[in-house]
Amino acid sequence: MRRGRDTSPDTAPAASRLTDCHRSLLTRRAFLAGLAGVSTVALFGSGPARAVEAEPDAEHRWALLDAVQQHLLPSEPESPGAREIQALAYLRFVVGDVKVDAEERGFILAGTAWLEDLSLQRMSASFLDLDHEAREALLRQVAASPQGENWLSTLLLYLMEALLTDSAYGGNPDGIGWRWLEHTPGYPRPSAATIYPRLPL
Amino acid sequence: MTTDCDVCIIGSGAGGAPVAYALSKAGQSVIVLEKGPWLRDEHFYKDELACCRRSVYTPELRHEQHVIEEADGKGGWRATPTSESGWDFWNGTLVGGSSNLMSGFFHRLKPVDFRQLSELGPIAGANRADWPIDYADLEPYYDRVERLIGVSGHITPRPDPHPAQEPRSRADFPYPPTAEHPVSAWIDRACESLGFHALRVPRAILSRPDLGRRACEYSGYCGSFGCASGAKGGARAALLEPAVATGRCQIRPKAKVHRLLSDRRGRVTAAEYVDAEGRLQQVTAKRFVVACQAVETSRLLLGSRGPRFPDGLANNHGQVGRNLLFSAGGSGSGDLEYASLTPEQVAQLKVMGPFVNRALDDWYLIEDAEFAPGPHKGGIVEFLFAHPNPTGKANRAKWRDGELLWGRPLKRRLEHWFRTDRTLRFEVFCDWLPTDDCFVTLDPQVKDRWGQPVARIRTGHHPHDLRVGHYLAARGERVLREMGAVRVRSSISGAPPANLMAGGCRFGTDPATSVLDPDCRAHEVENLYVTDGSFMPTGGSVPYTWTIYANALRVADRMLQAAA
Repeated sequence: MRRGRDTSPDTAPAASRLTDCHRSLLTRRAFLAGLAGVSTVALFGSGPARAVEAEPDAEHRWALLDAVQQHLLPSEPESPGAREIQALAYLRFVVGDVKVDAEERGFILAGTAWLEDLSLQRMSASFLDLDHEAREALLRQVAASPQGENWLSTLLLYLMEALLTDSAYGGNPDGIGWRWLEHTPGYPRPSAATIYPRLPL
Repeated sequence: MTTDCDVCIIGSGAGGAPVAYALSKAGQSVIVLEKGPWLRDEHFYKDELACCRRSVYTPELRHEQHVIEEADGKGGWRATPTSESGWDFWNGTLVGGSSNLMSGFFHRLKPVDFRQLSELGPIAGANRADWPIDYADLEPYYDRVERLIGVSGHITPRPDPHPAQEPRSRADFPYPPTAEHPVSAWIDRACESLGFHALRVPRAILSRPDLGRRACEYSGYCGSFGCASGAKGGARAALLEPAVATGRCQIRPKAKVHRLLSDRRGRVTAAEYVDAEGRLQQVTAKRFVVACQAVETSRLLLGSRGPRFPDGLANNHGQVGRNLLFSAGGSGSGDLEYASLTPEQVAQLKVMGPFVNRALDDWYLIEDAEFAPGPHKGGIVEFLFAHPNPTGKANRAKWRDGELLWGRPLKRRLEHWFRTDRTLRFEVFCDWLPTDDCFVTLDPQVKDRWGQPVARIRTGHHPHDLRVGHYLAARGERVLREMGAVRVRSSISGAPPANLMAGGCRFGTDPATSVLDPDCRAHEVENLYVTDGSFMPTGGSVPYTWTIYANALRVADRMLQAAA
């Protein structure tokens, strides 16, 4: 917590949260380490370890991320979902941004392979071919493991960023997220020419 | 001997910039070495990602970090590198330092802060000490800061002055208060009905254009953000730009000082730094000023060994890094629900932009037998709205009872969290008692991107700090309840707020127990000064910036007198 700066509490973990942060990091590392090994199910859920299926190609990977995002933040008539806030475009910015921890960016992408593998094992179908209920059931299984929960939590974080940060970064087009949650942004606002990757740092 | 400049200053924030300003105005040549980039007003936007969610104004922790030692609950200490914990101890690595990003609520210390040991006595386990100067010595410089930086506020005149008002040499501030939020009047009424005395808090923010800077534009996004209008009295806008305009002050950004070189006589001869291109450079000067913020100042001295200083510059008595201070206390909050207010009140509450500008200092000294016999040092309660940045709040909504929430339930929760109330917070500031369990050393293993040992910070707190914090938080909670807030809660902890640091190079009269003399010159190094918050033997119960500004101006005067 940074007193005297009005900072959002989550940007500076208090000591009591240190252990949680550390655990999160360790689960992410364990997860990534699993890429070199064999244990998909051991990472994302209980069950016998087995060899990883062929990894999805880049296009398939982004299709999986798109599907998961839309499940986590669905579109509704009165409120925007992942599609309307352009969450996938925003996530592409995040994955390409060197200011985001490389381990985390790798983690976001790697999770799709594990998700798809788990889907093929448990549901005998690609995640993309599952209906809403089956996707929900599978994601609940994912969330039951620390690694899977961490992955979904990471995707939710970037969904919230896509929803509520400036549209100059690719999400929240025309302030659709701000309008939904009745949020008033500050000014001056950044433009595509003045987002932080373009600052003379 | 010819040198590159009269004075070389390492660090361009609230400690270094006043010296650069005063000395260059007085005709001295000054070179300021700053590790971070030089951003101007036009580079600052209300951009949550830039200010608060990425390491834009601070180093990336994988490149530069700290190692934090916390009590492990078993009598030992657990050390964790911040690259693993994410617990960032950087506060603003850019020209002007973290003063670019402050909220600017400004408080002076009070006379008792200079004489805590004499007036309040020792506390077992704490290294309380009197300052070698009095409030009266610093008051002219507090006053000067009001005009130089631009402090806006109002002093309640006699015959009904604010009870805890510290002595002032002038009747009022040079600028009227910044625009105030409607909720400020609600706080006033609640305090009045409780018999408390709400303090109208001054701001280091221009309420009208002056000093070549624009007035505040009241976007509602201030703390943690750089100021685009120039109204905020940060070191860059208020001091460095006028200093550079003298033609005698040169700022070298992206200059990471590795060490200070010293000769056989024990004098500093040069600051060795790596420039933006990675080249090793040196600046020679007659005198050197270190102001890198408390932790990094101690680290630089400890890492600057020389013929006379085998354990680090000015550290032959083993005092550098000791008695590090943070600010004890914590925070609390309550929600003002729209459903319980009139439409007019809701409209008032939703106003964005003006400042709350209210605090309580009724218990700066606690004289309450229920707390403990005799007077005890207390602190202040500062009121403010929850930060308007939405993403952190939204991200917290995903956790319910320890489980992840998503889909429509998450969306309903977001709507509830964002559209039904506004959260009013308070922050408690009280003394972080100096102890032998809070200090800076060099980590024996972890290095930064240049191969230099990083600072290792032990963060032990004194249990008395928590007692004081709880005492103050209980009174903050009473105000929120009186206002009709619900879900009123507070959290007091011994976790150090990384942006409120001081100490590590105490000033005093005894070289065996202090690093600096009363003029903030190193006892052991005749041409070395330290002008950030490191000098403070005790911290006081308010944010440090105004005191750092004032003391740095005081030291600059002493430097000029010494040069004459």
